[in-house]
Amino acid sequence: MKTVSYIEAITEALAEEMRRDERVFVMGEDVGLYGGVFKATKGLQPEFGPLRVLDTPISEELIVGAAVGAAAVGMRPVPEIQFSDFASCSFDPIVQQMAKLRYRSGGGWTCPMVLRICCGGEVGGGLYHSQTNEQWFFGTAGLVVVAPATPYDAKGLLKAAIRGDDPVVYLEHKRLYRWVRGEIPEDDYTVPLGNADIKRQGRTITIVCYQLMVHRALEAADILSREGIELEVIDLRTLLPWDREMVLSSVRKTGKALIVHESPKTGGVGGEIAATIMEEAFDDLDAPVARLAAPDVPPVPFAPPMEKFFMPDAAKIAARCRQLAAY
Amino acid sequence: MKIAPAPTATPAVPVDDQRNLYYALVKTRRFDERCRRLFKQGRFPGTYFSAVGQEATTVGPTYGLTMRDVITTSHREIGAAITKGMPLVAILRQIYARADSPDKGHSHPCHFGYPAVNLFTPASTVAAQTVVGTGMALAFKMRREPHVVLNFFGEGATARGAFHEALNFAGVHDLPIVFICENNLWAESVPAHLTSRIERFSDRAKAYGFPGVTVDGNDLLLTHTTAREAIVRARAGKGPTLIECLTYRWYGHSEIDPANYRDAQEVEYWTARDPVARFEQHLDSEGIMTRAEREALIARVDAEIEEAIQQAESSPFAPPEEALNDVYSFSPAETFPTRDAGSGARGIR
Ligand SMILES: Cc1ncc(C[n+]2csc(CCOP(=O)(O)OP(=O)(O)O)c2C)c(N)n1
Repeated sequence: MKTVSYIEAITEALAEEMRRDERVFVMGEDVGLYGGVFKATKGLQPEFGPLRVLDTPISEELIVGAAVGAAAVGMRPVPEIQFSDFASCSFDPIVQQMAKLRYRSGGGWTCPMVLRICCGGEVGGGLYHSQTNEQWFFGTAGLVVVAPATPYDAKGLLKAAIRGDDPVVYLEHKRLYRWVRGEIPEDDYTVPLGNADIKRQGRTITIVCYQLMVHRALEAADILSREGIELEVIDLRTLLPWDREMVLSSVRKTGKALIVHESPKTGGVGGEIAATIMEEAFDDLDAPVARLAAPDVPPVPFAPPMEKFFMPDAAKIAARCRQLAAY
Repeated sequence: MKIAPAPTATPAVPVDDQRNLYYALVKTRRFDERCRRLFKQGRFPGTYFSAVGQEATTVGPTYGLTMRDVITTSHREIGAAITKGMPLVAILRQIYARADSPDKGHSHPCHFGYPAVNLFTPASTVAAQTVVGTGMALAFKMRREPHVVLNFFGEGATARGAFHEALNFAGVHDLPIVFICENNLWAESVPAHLTSRIERFSDRAKAYGFPGVTVDGNDLLLTHTTAREAIVRARAGKGPTLIECLTYRWYGHSEIDPANYRDAQEVEYWTARDPVARFEQHLDSEGIMTRAEREALIARVDAEIEEAIQQAESSPFAPPEEALNDVYSFSPAETFPTRDAGSGARGIR
């Protein structure tokens, strides 16, 4: 075991996969010479050269569309969108190409690629550099949407995604890049897509969350355990298709559920999970399923007090859990 | 709308190739017209996008590609699909949305794809294939493979950002791709002069640093040789070319469009410049094929077409649950056992 940051885990995964399989390549804005604006691709171009770590023009539709084409003819592209906010410019290739290629060709053409997208708030990035817009992709069958919270998962999921045969949208949280460190094995390992992970066992309330909110929920769990409230923290890790079985079995055990995400509440992932719990586990519920999310404003306001107001955090989670526990 | 005079004399093309070109041309024309009739008879759902009048623009460039070269198309390239080697019955099964269709009935009638001959299944988003095709060319360059990408689109597509992004990138990296703009003067009901300030769409290549050329797209040998030159250039690592083929679609945007936004004179002008009749005259006058030989070939093509129709029409529809397949590489029930067991997804495949 060794200890690395979330971003180091990502860089390691990329380097190891590029060494293992020469079909794997990286492309995007500033990924080469500069090593990425956050340095996620640092050191790759010197090792693999300018064609396998390719600096592109500011052409998001090209970055994703070209990756689709390369994947279709046998490569394993790992393109990068520098800020998830600008994935809007590549929406056509994401929802019309990546997600639909296998389906529209009856399995004749496939799209084994991983679109790395850097997202997330709590970094003072303002309206166009902070959003977590997983809900843009969550409603798009055909995509696998991955959102890791820890270095271990970040590396293992990225490797599994690169080795898999499906188009993956891999959402990495920029607040976690350097703030979170954790142990990973020295040796090669993968984390299977589609499986959630119980990050903390508990009997009072099931918390369903991902990315930064996993850490906030764990902080809340520490606070609440002193009050006799035991949170079971489920890290979804893969948002689409999500691990219904693990969520439902946890809710059947605790009888209460709170879903937490940092994107706005309306139209968010939480609504789908809440509805599924109601459909499948209503008889086991001891309280209405609850959601804690950001307010319905364009994410994320810039002024520091406003950003703090916008973001769910441990205190807000704890407060909501106290209400749920008392229900 | 007048066409530019056909540039240069007809270049040399071996006689055997000319006969093969004629076969692909006439097969495309006869099949396309037949598909229109089938649609009018209500024999398949949706609509049909005819390319009658534009055959030389798709057949000429496609003829002579290797199997490994990839073609990326949109909705009006039946000529490219046929010439690349997609069987008529596969095309028809897709049009009819029957079982054994390459797309299993998932997609759209005229978005033909056939992996066995590297014909890429297109999406409906106009110009989407330009970025995707560019990525394929990038892969060929990375792997040092000699294949090229032939990328077809209408003049309407050149207005989109994707087109600009693709050509810019392909130019920067000297990618092995040939962009073929089928300028049929109309994008649905909007004439080309309302969508672009420039008259020659090939001029756009200047902005990306590679050659652009406009040719008479109804001259089969010219579209063939012009593309061949560009393909040789691309294979040699010298980068892309943009070829604008001036042509015309005889009928509506699709069969549900009466095309009454065009005036009769224009249609007359262009139908008089029929690429098929023109090539037949050439074959006659050069003594490459006699009229009798041509007629025998047409009879053979028609028989092929009828046979394919019979086969396609006797295919059943796939079971409706086929709608659940090919979303991911795994069937929902196995790799993600957490999926809804009651959805009907379990056990398919
Ligand atoms: C992005 C996008 N916008 C609109 C449409 C609807 N549409 C389909 S074909 C077409 C016209 C295309 O014109 P052109 O590229 O010149 O090709 P042509 O039909 O003439 O062959 C339009 C507007 C679409 N498919 N995609």
